[in-house]
Amino acid sequence: MELDFKYLVSRRRLLRAGACLVSTAVMGSRLSLASEVDEHELNATHGRASLAGADAPWTPVWAYDGMVPGPTLRVQQGRPVRISVVNALDESTTVHWHGIRLPNAMDGVPGLTQAPIKPGESFTYEFTPPDAGTFWYHPHADSLQQIGRGLAGALVVEEADPIVVDRDLLWTLQDWRLTKDGQIAPGFGSMMDAAMSGRVGNIVTINGAPPGDQTVRAGERVRLRLVNAALARMMALRFEGHRPIIVAIDGQPCEPREPQGGRIVLAPAMRIDVVLDLQGDPGSRHAVTDDFYDGLAYTLTSFVYSSEPPLRANPLDAPVRLPANPLPIPNLADAVRQEIVLQGGMMGGGKLKGVGGMVGMAMPGMNGGPAWAINGMSMTGDGHAGMAPLFTLQRGASCRLTMRNETAWWHPMHIHGFSLSLLARNGESVPHGQWQDTVLLAPKDTLECAFVADNPGDWMLHCHVTDHQMAGLMTVFRVT
Amino acid sequence: MKMTYRLAALAVAIAMPLPAVAATINAVMYKNPQCSCCESYATYLEHNGFKVDIKPVNNLSQISSDAGVPADLEGCHTLMVDGYVVDGLVPVDIVKKLLTERPAITGITLAGMPAGAPGMGGAKDGPFTIYAFTKDGKAPTVYATE
Repeated sequence: MELDFKYLVSRRRLLRAGACLVSTAVMGSRLSLASEVDEHELNATHGRASLAGADAPWTPVWAYDGMVPGPTLRVQQGRPVRISVVNALDESTTVHWHGIRLPNAMDGVPGLTQAPIKPGESFTYEFTPPDAGTFWYHPHADSLQQIGRGLAGALVVEEADPIVVDRDLLWTLQDWRLTKDGQIAPGFGSMMDAAMSGRVGNIVTINGAPPGDQTVRAGERVRLRLVNAALARMMALRFEGHRPIIVAIDGQPCEPREPQGGRIVLAPAMRIDVVLDLQGDPGSRHAVTDDFYDGLAYTLTSFVYSSEPPLRANPLDAPVRLPANPLPIPNLADAVRQEIVLQGGMMGGGKLKGVGGMVGMAMPGMNGGPAWAINGMSMTGDGHAGMAPLFTLQRGASCRLTMRNETAWWHPMHIHGFSLSLLARNGESVPHGQWQDTVLLAPKDTLECAFVADNPGDWMLHCHVTDHQMAGLMTVFRVT
Repeated sequence: MKMTYRLAALAVAIAMPLPAVAATINAVMYKNPQCSCCESYATYLEHNGFKVDIKPVNNLSQISSDAGVPADLEGCHTLMVDGYVVDGLVPVDIVKKLLTERPAITGITLAGMPAGAPGMGGAKDGPFTIYAFTKDGKAPTVYATE
């Protein structure tokens, strides 16, 4: 990768400086550019990918524009976007713009917010991203297969005033369950996967390729955007010999801080932006490991320093705090309280009728039944018409939402259309001003969060371990 | 890449399970890293003359399917012992019966996690049905009830 960068001056600032020179000649040209609709097209189609290395056979995949991951869409905060999605698959699809606060009709949930896009048809999504940050897009139809076969891509909403870094890197992490001959393994929707930890795979790729070494230069500062686009694989990344600073979670800026225990926990659908000052010695090598699952730690990739002399003697002396996004602040004193309880799964204790360890029941989810429930109710699949909301909020109301995980499993719970302000986990307040659209609950965790119900519509709230969502860990709430 | 090797190693392990040696019977257990009841079952086997090598895996349903376990009869873990597949919480006397009789089957399974099964605790509500399966596409047959 190229290492000649405009340090100290970010690329955008440079562009803006250029634009200022021009703007004296062409009055108002920048303004019209900013308000002009940013047009994109995506084709959901078939393709093939080299996932297991050059010597392994090609893997047939389903992919946006035939690429895994799909093309990275880079759009600007506050500028209208129009994305035409063409369905060249053999089955219906939709696209969910994960984490973007947008009109309900653009949210991409089949049956609930739009009719599915049939094969050969297209649908145009239009929205204006209010928040800058790292987001992603994926189908919300036949989700296990469509995401599991490769349909996913990153959506980066650029700030008007980004922080100063030498390089802005993106790792879209995907997890694949391949057979020995390199094909996508059958068995989507296995009841064992559904009732346990989901369809975790056996090959992890970074930006669609087996992770090779990442070449870096001593002294440089990078912003690394991590996107977990896996169906089910949780990750806990450690950057050996480095001290990553978390600057945003799920696209939303937070107080810059080091991760607890030096471990960046990234559940499916979560994004974490880190700033890394690469202070290793020229020529040195440092592993990036993932040790989320006990006994299954592995080296994801390695930072390999070039032999060039350090770019600078000391770390860059520039702030790493990202500009805040315009999130509405919940009024906790006057908030409506709602609680959701996650139930079911293997070792679920049989608290739920028909789910989890009931006597005579072979396995939760067996015989096509749901494996999970929220407040005793199992909504299964990807979304469909007639899903009755679990609760209704008056538009503009603040909601204090408690999520209680009664199960023995981990669940990244994703809220559509909103970002949640994290208040407390298991009774201890959550510091650093964190906002997330996908919050991870460990077994038996209780999480308190809040949001302002400022966006009308029927919105989904579901686990993003896709097998769990499909097997009942999903609900809907309404904002009037 | 390492994961590819691991997958290859698993394939080898499935094809050539460790032979039983002397008094102790060696077994390899593939289990979900986050499921705890399987470990109680391994302890139960160890109290009954087995030596169990526990291997956490993330793709248990794939391993179990590759081992020939019918999808609707999956147990909560997969054990490879003396040339046979023993899936789920099968009582030890039935495992020993299998290893003594050595029938021409791929393995046996007790589906799900029924209460009262070894490793599960709780009271048994009815007889367990342990099925025998093969890899030749024939329907599973009842191997034992207990």
